[in-house]
Amino acid sequence: MRKPDVLLALLVIPGMLASCTTTQPDYFSPSQSSVTARKMQARVYPSVDESDVMSAAAAVLQDMGYSIDEVEARLGVISASKRADATNRLQAFGTLTLDSMKCALTFLMACSGNHYGVIDDVQDIRLTMVSMPQSDGSVAVRITIQRRIYDKRGRLSEQSTISDAAVYDMLFAKLSKAVFLEEQGI
Amino acid sequence: MSRRLLTLIPLLALAACASNNAAITASDSQVHVRQMQTRVYDSLDKLDTLRSVLATLQDLGFVIDTADYEMATITATKLQDYQLRVTVTVKDRNYNQLAVRANARIDDQIIDDPATYQDFFTVLDKAIFLTRHDVD
Repeated sequence: MRKPDVLLALLVIPGMLASCTTTQPDYFSPSQSSVTARKMQARVYPSVDESDVMSAAAAVLQDMGYSIDEVEARLGVISASKRADATNRLQAFGTLTLDSMKCALTFLMACSGNHYGVIDDVQDIRLTMVSMPQSDGSVAVRITIQRRIYDKRGRLSEQSTISDAAVYDMLFAKLSKAVFLEEQGI
Repeated sequence: MSRRLLTLIPLLALAACASNNAAITASDSQVHVRQMQTRVYDSLDKLDTLRSVLATLQDLGFVIDTADYEMATITATKLQDYQLRVTVTVKDRNYNQLAVRANARIDDQIIDDPATYQDFFTVLDKAIFLTRHDVD
């Protein structure tokens, strides 16, 4: 081996070895915003029974068209899911416009309509409500929500945890009403 | 098609089966895996510990798939650019301790990095402390 080759090998081999040692991301490290997330996702209901809160939660989920997937009363867990429409008119308009422009600009040579397939079609929404009794007699409820969006070809286009405060506000408004109704036996 | 090629085909098919079946069981040492995934707590309160696990998982952005008090098992999923799935079990140990074990998968990969499990137990330690002292 000539000298430049040896030098090159000395440089390349450690480089290759370094690329083998992958560091895994911090999957279980809470994010900086975990306190903010907890505030957004949790509410406390004073002087109520945990069973009343859980019944109210199940009723609210049924009101919104969810199917209950998992219930564990001793741990205060209810998980539910539903499939819903995910069509976004703005996205559909933009995509169809893009397809039409491509078709016109290529003098009808590239009218494939490929972009139409990537328009969002349906979404699978899953959520968990966990109730936690507090020592002062109140019950804390925390909700976490996730969704998967599929395009018109049936391919996964997005999966995420919902972090829109307005969604949680709306859910808790419905739950508060349901807890009141539950307490009144309505 | 030559005879040699014909004899090769079943061998190749068998090789393909073997590689797929290897994923059903794992090759790692059971003792090493258990040590990495388990932490022991000086507590006998299974309910509080399971509730702390739930709080931890929600803090980390998980949705609960299944939860069972009798079997003391909770499975949860987190969706981001990846799908992270974790199962946590709680077991009695040594008459006055509970062992909490977590095993996690990221998409189709087993998480075998001890630091990742340490991160999980660090968050759980805090949740157990807060549950014991009843702090929100």
